[in-house]
Amino acid sequence: MSRIVSAFKSFFVILFQGELPEDVAREFGYSKPQPVKPPPPPQATAADGALQILGILQRDGRLVDFLMEDLRAADDEQIGAVARSLQEQCHAALQRHVQLVPVIDGVENSFTKLATNDPTTVKLLGNVPASGKAAGGVLRHKGWRAEKVDLPTIKPGPQTLIVAPAEIEIE
Amino acid sequence: MAQKYVIGIDLGTTNSALAFAEPPEDSRDHAPVTLLDIPQLVNPGEVRDESLLPSFLYLTGPNDFPEGSLEMPWPSDPAFVTGELAKKRGSENARRLVSSAKSWLSHAGVNRTSAILPPTAPEGVEKISPVEASRRYLEHLRAAWNSKMPDASFDEQQVLVTVPASFDAVARELTITAAEQAGYKNVVLLEEPQAAFYAWLERHPDWRERVHVGDLILVADIGGGTTDFTLISVTEAGGELQLERVAVGEHILLGGDNIDLALARLLEQQLAEKGTKLDAMQLHALWQQCRVAKEHLLSGESKKDEYPVTILGRGTGLVGGTIKAKLRTEDINRVLLDGFLPVASSEDMPQRRRAALAELGLPYAADAAITRHLARFLRQQAANAEHGSVRRGPSGIACPTHILFNGGVLRAPLVRDRIIEVLNNWLAAEGMEPVQPLLGEDLMHAVARGAAYYGMARSGQGVRIRGGIPRTYYVGIETAMPAVPGMAAPIKALAVAPFGMEEGTGASLPDREFGLVVGEPAEFRFFQSAIRKNDDAGALIDDLDGDLQELSPVEVNLTGNAGEVVPVTLETVVTETGQLQLWCVARDGRRWKLEFNVREQVAQ
Repeated sequence: MSRIVSAFKSFFVILFQGELPEDVAREFGYSKPQPVKPPPPPQATAADGALQILGILQRDGRLVDFLMEDLRAADDEQIGAVARSLQEQCHAALQRHVQLVPVIDGVENSFTKLATNDPTTVKLLGNVPASGKAAGGVLRHKGWRAEKVDLPTIKPGPQTLIVAPAEIEIE
Repeated sequence: MAQKYVIGIDLGTTNSALAFAEPPEDSRDHAPVTLLDIPQLVNPGEVRDESLLPSFLYLTGPNDFPEGSLEMPWPSDPAFVTGELAKKRGSENARRLVSSAKSWLSHAGVNRTSAILPPTAPEGVEKISPVEASRRYLEHLRAAWNSKMPDASFDEQQVLVTVPASFDAVARELTITAAEQAGYKNVVLLEEPQAAFYAWLERHPDWRERVHVGDLILVADIGGGTTDFTLISVTEAGGELQLERVAVGEHILLGGDNIDLALARLLEQQLAEKGTKLDAMQLHALWQQCRVAKEHLLSGESKKDEYPVTILGRGTGLVGGTIKAKLRTEDINRVLLDGFLPVASSEDMPQRRRAALAELGLPYAADAAITRHLARFLRQQAANAEHGSVRRGPSGIACPTHILFNGGVLRAPLVRDRIIEVLNNWLAAEGMEPVQPLLGEDLMHAVARGAAYYGMARSGQGVRIRGGIPRTYYVGIETAMPAVPGMAAPIKALAVAPFGMEEGTGASLPDREFGLVVGEPAEFRFFQSAIRKNDDAGALIDDLDGDLQELSPVEVNLTGNAGEVVPVTLETVVTETGQLQLWCVARDGRRWKLEFNVREQVAQ
């Protein structure tokens, strides 16, 4: 656009419409470029979270190594020594990230009243009535509920499929 | 925004902590001291609050951590990591780990402002100086405060940083430098054993009923890496009880880490006898395990006389590769009681390192016996000086009435009991009553707590320990004598700052003038003594024997017409913040400050 054309165009458009014409504004750098929307960040999936907690238990307590090892030939004393250390570390890691409390805070093997019959919270065993509902029964297992889950935020990506990195020592 | 809090920082050899207090409106009220949780990376991508910041710094390599996993809740430089993650990763790659920066800061044998850490870093790694490492820890603590307490900017608060009592003027100056580089504005230094005692005062507002005039309190501070002794005397002025710090010990690089390592070495030997060899990383794991086992067995709660130590297999074959050992109480007793805390007489002195080629490393104590170091400390007070009122036995040895423990090692009753036992033997030999322990609490955080209390004491809310500078300082003067070939001119030492010179005071030596040439640096040799306490400013010492230690030289550069000779006198000032300053004063009143030249020392 020649400068004379731009000047006249601007003059009349400002006079009658009260603003600088868009093409002139762009040409002289008075217009902000339209922001380009960034692609949505990849969402962390349930698998990422599962692998993350596995990764933490492996890193702090070597749980995956233990579960993946063939222990048929190992003697009990050796397993016991490992289990002690492993349990201590995994317990600490779990406590840090997942706060576990009993679903029903009662005394096991004593009669307990039930507030709900929701099958995800309470599982009825034995002589369950036809209605599938009961007001109480003997508490056999208190259950576990995660009161709080506090995991470090993860950046999803291909690396999250790694549970534990390989270790190479340079000699 | 105005000052609201007093912040106490324990910049430790292995762990640092930050405590704070809010001075109450009414000075008679008790102001509780609170510890600040310090956010730090504990794993890549995981920031957690911990009460201690491990004093470790890791120089990040190109492939050490996944990208973006070193982000902190505040803007930070991913070129290095401080705290728990640094310690963790450093155990896997030790050559990029900076540890014990504080001990390097007080090590006169190296250039403390040049990039020398880590000493074993491979070529291509950009090293840092001991001052910079300290600065990074201080920066971390400042950022932690600002992120936790957004309504009270760190820079507006009164900040106290603790240093070992055994730090000399140069190490103190370098600590201040590190703090200033970290952006600290109102820093005051405080000696750690004093801080520990302040923490006791904070916990015992009725302290006046617990100690009496003439009492002498020994503060024994055994941390992870260092051991520090201090004597505090209870005096009276105007009917009020006063506390005065009357002696400090030398810098002893000996602490809990040495004990853990000794235990690990013992187990390593036992395993080797059974044919199991450990590599460096397994030994490191064993070292950490020994610490846990030791703390468990010494806690006084354990009924068993052994504790399992497990070194897990390094590969995926976890169970098959695991090495089992047991730390037994008798092993601990042998290592601890015979090696580190042997029964010694008060005449026993620690063995000195024989003159050998000094390696580039920290000057660790040659003798591991803490009891012998203590004997020497109390004896040294005997040999010299009537500064303040130090309670003594017939043989002249200083005889404490009370003992206050500080530092992680002293959480173990066994260690405390042995020190008391040995001390009581000495006291009995002098015909004195046994020592009474002052029960401190929370030995890991007491120093930071005490520092915050002292910050309030400085503004008049609480009792203050009088102390002044813990050494006498001298400048070297060459004697005017005919030159003898092959012999350096004999040198005399002129006392410029007497022991106990208090904060906010000065001393000048108007009778002794020096001619300084303008336009070129003039250098003075600089000496200190923790033992000679009776030398007043101006005293001249002919014989520079073992009592005097040479420090980094001090230098001054007078600007003006080149070639002119200006007669000056020396003046010493101890600032309100406890810093020792030397000044040259001309007849017309012009003043120049003498600066430490830490670089020169190394060239020798």
